[in-house]
Amino acid sequence: MEQLELLMGGFANALTPINLLWVLIGAVLGTAVGVLPGLGSAMAVALLLPVTFSLEPTAAFIMFAGIYFGGLFGDSTSGILLNTPGNSSAMASTFEGHRMAKSGQAAKALATCAIGAFIGGLIATTLVVFFAPTLVKMATVFGPAEYFALAVFAFLAISAVVSESVIRGIAALGIGLALALVGIDGPSGTSRFTLGMPQLFDGISVIVITVGLLALGEVFHIASRIHRDPAATQIEAKGRARLNLADFRKALPAWLRGTAFGAPFGLIPAGGAEVPTFLAYGTEKQLAKRRNDPEFGTTGSIRGLAAPEAAANATAGTAMGALLALGLPTSATAAIMLAAFQQYGMQPGPLLFERSGDLVWALLASLFIGLVILVMINMPFASVWAKLLSIPKHYLYAGITVFSMLGVYAVSSAILDLWLLIAIGLIGFMMRRYNIPLAPVLIAVILGPMAETELRRALAVSEGDLGILVGSPITVTLYAVLAAALVLSAIQHLRHRRANRQAVLVP
Amino acid sequence: MSITQHQPEAGSAKETRSNPRPGFGTGRSEFIVVAVLYALAIFLTVGTVTMKVQGKSAPGPQFFPILVCIVLYLVATLLAIQILRSPKVPDHSIHPGHGQFSADMLHDLGHLGKEEDAAFSDGPSRTPARTWKTYTDWRTVGLMLAGVVAFVLVLNPLGWIMSAAMLFWVVAHALGSRRPYFDAGVGLLFSSITQLAFGAGLGLSLPSGFIGGIL
Repeated sequence: MEQLELLMGGFANALTPINLLWVLIGAVLGTAVGVLPGLGSAMAVALLLPVTFSLEPTAAFIMFAGIYFGGLFGDSTSGILLNTPGNSSAMASTFEGHRMAKSGQAAKALATCAIGAFIGGLIATTLVVFFAPTLVKMATVFGPAEYFALAVFAFLAISAVVSESVIRGIAALGIGLALALVGIDGPSGTSRFTLGMPQLFDGISVIVITVGLLALGEVFHIASRIHRDPAATQIEAKGRARLNLADFRKALPAWLRGTAFGAPFGLIPAGGAEVPTFLAYGTEKQLAKRRNDPEFGTTGSIRGLAAPEAAANATAGTAMGALLALGLPTSATAAIMLAAFQQYGMQPGPLLFERSGDLVWALLASLFIGLVILVMINMPFASVWAKLLSIPKHYLYAGITVFSMLGVYAVSSAILDLWLLIAIGLIGFMMRRYNIPLAPVLIAVILGPMAETELRRALAVSEGDLGILVGSPITVTLYAVLAAALVLSAIQHLRHRRANRQAVLVP
Repeated sequence: MSITQHQPEAGSAKETRSNPRPGFGTGRSEFIVVAVLYALAIFLTVGTVTMKVQGKSAPGPQFFPILVCIVLYLVATLLAIQILRSPKVPDHSIHPGHGQFSADMLHDLGHLGKEEDAAFSDGPSRTPARTWKTYTDWRTVGLMLAGVVAFVLVLNPLGWIMSAAMLFWVVAHALGSRRPYFDAGVGLLFSSITQLAFGAGLGLSLPSGFIGGIL
C-alpha cells in the first residue's frame, strides 16, 4: 500500500492553511462559473487558468482541483432550474432534474446532484489513487508508435465516432492541427507558418485558443441570438437542499450505478461525460419501466437524476487519472488541464510521477479536499448559488468578455495575442453557428504536437517503413478497437438516416 | 453552450417563410466554412512550400503539415459537396447533441423518446414573434466586434481601467442594457476591481496608460 503512504504525504502538503484557502477559492469560483447559464466546467477552467499562472505550481494545481470539480457541481444547477444545462455533460440530468423542479422539489433535486457529484467524484478519485501506478507501469512500455496510435484514437474517437457529422468533426480536427503547427518545429529548429514574427516562434498560446473558442466565441454566439430567442424562465428553489433517509436510500443504488458507468469512460477519449451520462439515464429509465415507477417522466424521479450526475463526476475523476498517468486528455476540460501542466514546463505522463511526485500526490489529495469542501458549500447554500442565475445576461457576458481579454493579456502582455483571440473567437462563433464541434479542436491543439513528434520519431527509427505503426500488439489492438467503433457509428448513422427517410415518406 | 436552443427552419441566408421561392443561397451560407477551410489549407500549402528547412531529419518539418493539408483540402471539398446536395442547415430540429455530439447516438444510449424531446420544447415558446432577413443578428455581433477591436486599439494608450470599462459598457449596451450611466459605473467598478485584484494582488502586468504616466 505504497499509494496510501504517498497520498498521506500529499495530504500533508495540501492541508496547510494557505493551500486550503486556494482550494476554497477554486471551489467557490468553479461553482460560480459552473452555475451561470451557458458556462460549463470547460469554460471555468479556461477562464481561470491564466489567473493561476502567477501562483507557484503546487498552489495553482490545488486551486485547479477546486475549479475542476466545482464547475461540475455547478453545471446541473442551471439545467434543473432553467432547463438549460451549463455543459453538455449535464444534459442527461436535466430531464428528470427539471421535472422535479417543476413539481416543487427543486431543493431536493439540487441536493441529489450535490451528493451524486460527491459520491461519483470520491469513488473515481479513489480508483485513480490505487490504479494510477498500474497505468504508469503500462505507459512505460509505450513507444513512439503506441503514443501515435493513442493520439490517432483520440482524434478519431472525438471527431468521428461521437460527433453529429463526421465531415464537420474532421474539419474541426483539421483546424486544431493547423493551429498547433504554428511555431518553431522542435526536432529541426525550422520556423513554420510564423510569417517571420518572433512573437509566434513559441506557437499560438493554448490559452488564446481555449479562451477564444470557449469564451469569446460563446459571447459572439449569444450576441447573435439574444434579441431574437425568448428567455428561459427560472423556477425558484425554496427551502434548504436536503434529503431525508428514504430519498437517500432510493438514490443510493442509482448513484452507484452511475459511478460504475462513468468511471471507465474517464479513460476513453470519447469527449467526456456525455456518453456515460446518457447511458446511466437510459438504464434508470429502463429500470423504472420495469418497476412501474410512476414518478419517472412525470413528476421527476430522484434516481433518473442521481445516476447521470454521479456518472458525470466519476468520468471527470478518472479522466484526471488518464491525464496524469498517460498524458492523455480524454475530454476538452482535461485538454485544458494538460495545457496548464505544460505552462509550468511539466509533461503529464509516466515521468510526471517520478519527477514531480510531490505535486501529483498533493493534487490528488486536494481533489479529495475539494470534493469535501464542495459538498459543504453546495448542500446548505444550493439556493444561494441559484441566485447567481438572476444576474442580468448583459452584465454577465460583458464581464466574461473583459475577463477573457484580461486572461489572455496576462499570459504574455502581447497585443498580438489579443488580435489572435478575436480571430479565434470569430472562428468559434462560426463553428457554433454551423454546429461544428469544438472539442476536436482542443484535443488536436493539445495532442497534435505529440502526434507529430511521435510519428516522426517512429518513422525515423524504422527508416520510413510504415509497418512500424502497426508493429506491436498494443497498436494493433488500438486500431482494431477504433475501426470497430467507426463501423458501429457508421451503421448507426445509416440506420437513423433510413428511419428518418421513412418517417418523411409516411407522414 | 446553449444546448437546448434549437434553430428555426432555414439557414442564415433567408427565412423560407418570407421567401416562398428560395434562391441558390438559401441554407447554403455554410460555404463560409468551406472558404475558411480552403484559406487555411492554402496558407499551409504556401507555408510548407516556402519553408526554409533546417537540419536533415528523415521525416522533416514539412511532413506533418502536408498530411494536415491533405485532410483540410479533402474535408473542405466533401463539406462543399454535402452543402450543395442538401442545402438545409442540418440542425433545425430539437435534439440533445446540438452539433457537439451525435444526437442519434445519445438517443440510443439514453433510450430517449418523445417525452425527452418534449422536455426541450416545453420551456418558453420557441416560435419567433417575427422573422428576420438573416439568422444571425449582425447588428449586435458587429457592435460587439467593434467593441473588442476598439479595446485592443486603445488598451496601451488608455490603460486597463479605462479601456476595460469601455469594453464592458459596449458589450452590455449591445446585449440590451438600457441604463447607460449605470452601466458606465458598473464597468468602471469591474475594471478597477480586476486591476486591484490581479494587478496589485496577483502581480499580473496590466497597462496603466496615460493616467499611470501622470501619477
